[in-house]
Amino acid sequence: MDGILQSLGVIFSFSGLAVLIIGALLGIVIGALPGLGPSIGLSLLIPFTYNLGPELSMLMMISLYTSAEYGGSISAILLSTPGTAAAAATAIDGYAMARKGRANEAISISLTASTVGGVFGGLALLLLAMPLASLALKFGPAGYFAVGVFGLTSVAALSGGSLIKGLVCAAFGLALATIGIDPIAGTPRFTFGLFELYEGVPFLAALIGLFAVSEALVMIENRVAAAPVIKDKVGHVFMSGALWKETWRSMLSGSVIGTLLGILPGVGGNIACWVARDYARARDPHPEEFGKGSANGIAAPEASNNATVGGALVPLLALGVPGSPTTAIMVGALIMHGLHPGPQLFTEAPSLVYAILFGTIIASLVQYAAGSLFLPLMARVMRLPDAVIAVGIMAFAVLGAFAIRNLMFDVYLMLGFGVVGYLMKKLRFPVAPIVLAMVLGYLVESNYRTALVSSQGDYMIFITDPVSLLFLVLSLVSLLTPLWRRLQKRRVRQVDVDETANGTAR
Amino acid sequence: MTINRRTFGTRMAGAALGLALALSSVALPAPAMAAGFPEKSVTLVVWAGAGGALDTYGRKLAELLEKESGWSVKVDNRPGGSGAVGVSQIMTQPADGYNILVFTGTLTFGIAQGLIPFELKDFRMLRAMQSEPSSLAVLSDSQFKTVEDFVKYMKENPSGLKVGGHAPGGFHQYMLYQLMKSGGFESGWIPHDASGKVTLALLGKHIDAAMMTPSTGLAQVKNGEIKLLGVSTDKRSEFLPDTPTFKEQGYDIEGAVWRGIAVKAGTPDDVVNSIQAAVDKVTASADWKKFQTEQFQDSPDWKEEEFTKRAESDLSNQLEFLKANGYAQ
Repeated sequence: MDGILQSLGVIFSFSGLAVLIIGALLGIVIGALPGLGPSIGLSLLIPFTYNLGPELSMLMMISLYTSAEYGGSISAILLSTPGTAAAAATAIDGYAMARKGRANEAISISLTASTVGGVFGGLALLLLAMPLASLALKFGPAGYFAVGVFGLTSVAALSGGSLIKGLVCAAFGLALATIGIDPIAGTPRFTFGLFELYEGVPFLAALIGLFAVSEALVMIENRVAAAPVIKDKVGHVFMSGALWKETWRSMLSGSVIGTLLGILPGVGGNIACWVARDYARARDPHPEEFGKGSANGIAAPEASNNATVGGALVPLLALGVPGSPTTAIMVGALIMHGLHPGPQLFTEAPSLVYAILFGTIIASLVQYAAGSLFLPLMARVMRLPDAVIAVGIMAFAVLGAFAIRNLMFDVYLMLGFGVVGYLMKKLRFPVAPIVLAMVLGYLVESNYRTALVSSQGDYMIFITDPVSLLFLVLSLVSLLTPLWRRLQKRRVRQVDVDETANGTAR
Repeated sequence: MTINRRTFGTRMAGAALGLALALSSVALPAPAMAAGFPEKSVTLVVWAGAGGALDTYGRKLAELLEKESGWSVKVDNRPGGSGAVGVSQIMTQPADGYNILVFTGTLTFGIAQGLIPFELKDFRMLRAMQSEPSSLAVLSDSQFKTVEDFVKYMKENPSGLKVGGHAPGGFHQYMLYQLMKSGGFESGWIPHDASGKVTLALLGKHIDAAMMTPSTGLAQVKNGEIKLLGVSTDKRSEFLPDTPTFKEQGYDIEGAVWRGIAVKAGTPDDVVNSIQAAVDKVTASADWKKFQTEQFQDSPDWKEEEFTKRAESDLSNQLEFLKANGYAQ
């Protein structure tokens, strides 16, 4: 009880609120800049946390982490450039909506959904940390493999018109994911002797190239065409009642998916955003709107990537094991203060634990306020002509690719992906399945092989492992539902046709 | 109102630009004025990303080199290529001591596997400052109470247990290999790509035993959920006084993964001596000792000659292990 009061005292002190606000403002900017994600943001913050107490350090880090997850959607919506990997799914509908002149709406949906997701994840952390952590322990390699397969089933939803083109792109993405050091044999594969590729194709370089540079190239090509006049006024941040009614289900499902996938180390927001989008699409009465600027196509992934923050803190607090690369940096900061994360913190430093628990929820609310401050800037971005935006995208793309590892190699790779993405757009191939397959390829492959190593080659492990069985069944359901629906629709249409035919005959 | 907004927007754009500049300035050298070495700011090239154990060590070293020796120090994270990116970074700079590599014992594995395209003679290995042993870990409700129990079971049931740990062909699998040779049994190896996942796999009973650094599952080792049967130190660790070593249980295994600093070969002796003197001040400081205790790190403090000898013998032993397990030709 003392711990709770003390932690609230820290949070609502002047310095507590100050670090939350600074963290949120920094987080939004860092999230919006492509290449600078929450992990780089936190590592830049580490030297400044030496002189703060552990509670304030954690509050600032959580605030930055949360806000960066939202910030990534800003550039995704305005520039088709996902600022963070977890904002990739938002770019599709967010950018489509912005090009229709509804950028303000898109951003207010993203900000609201991010806040809802963050609060949801924070509540789950506060109330259910221990049971959720024991849930995470149920996932063995077979379970992780099945989760990855389940994620891959959403390729169909990302394929746009042609399923075949979608599958070709997914296969390309899976092939790219095999580049790097073999997860089981430990030797480099398909790296052409380049040690820059040992850790695999840097995902952000591919993401920035495929989404952002390709879009800039299209803009440059269309320079003769009249720029679309966007007359959207940006000012209000509140969502209308009708929009709430339209999106609350996606926000909720996104939040649940984000929290659950956030708990699993190595899964997290990069995957949760796609799964959440796919789930929302499957439940949507107008699935054909997805990809053309659907409000739910923004709300679901944005709620999910912020919910992963609370989720990723679950194993950290309950088991002492970080749930994401970003929380691993928080472990580093705690260690600098002479603390080791884990369940013993509840007795060793209760006020710190409660500061993290309440801080996660309050940071989401601070993010909402901070996010609304940035709206006037966004209004200016939208009034810029395409030529300026295209150059801006290229500049941020180069900066972001370099920031990944300070290697020019990544910049060239990113530009290469940009050309590939441009050609794909010309040939009407969807780029999203590549990105999804790259995220999931490593997860699926490494866990598939680890499962078989641990079962000594017995494939039954995928069926006897209850988690694996559950997700494989879910994958089947996810694959078969659209087919079944189409069959049903055809049958209804057939009946209609029959009836019309009978009517004419009569 | 419009003006306000515009001003605000400009400021925000300015802030973003400022941040970008601040980030890019990391690469710019800063002027300094002290006589002798160093005459300017020194860069610690950490071959891992921010936030891990190596980065924590590098940043503490930087902080104390500034505080105790009056240096101006920058930390430059150069992750990638199993360390090859960081190594190349110092190899492409002049051998003047201004670029110091902060690295781990996986260097010898990287060289043995051909992942790091350099040799030990390309370095001057100045000081090993931290080390952590490996340990054989099981859940506390396991039937095994000693290393002997484990070895006996594995002899009767070859590869009968799921044993795993961090990385394929790395330090921990190497220590298991040593145990296999010493105990005369066979075992498979289930690699994990992050040490935290080893703890989760053990707690979730997806593996039966793990080879890991004791600090990997620190919370569980402390509260008794995870039991360490043996640890690969020469004498009992001061951090784990109740955990017997492999040696005292009759298995002649000793090894530790170290973290230390090196410079490019050809760096002049007087520069090296200045660096060593500065590091001596760091290791003698109370701050450093407190940091080591908090981090559960042993302090080998091997100087150049011993460090180099250690690395050479590690390299030849590991090469044998890697060849025997098909990780290297």
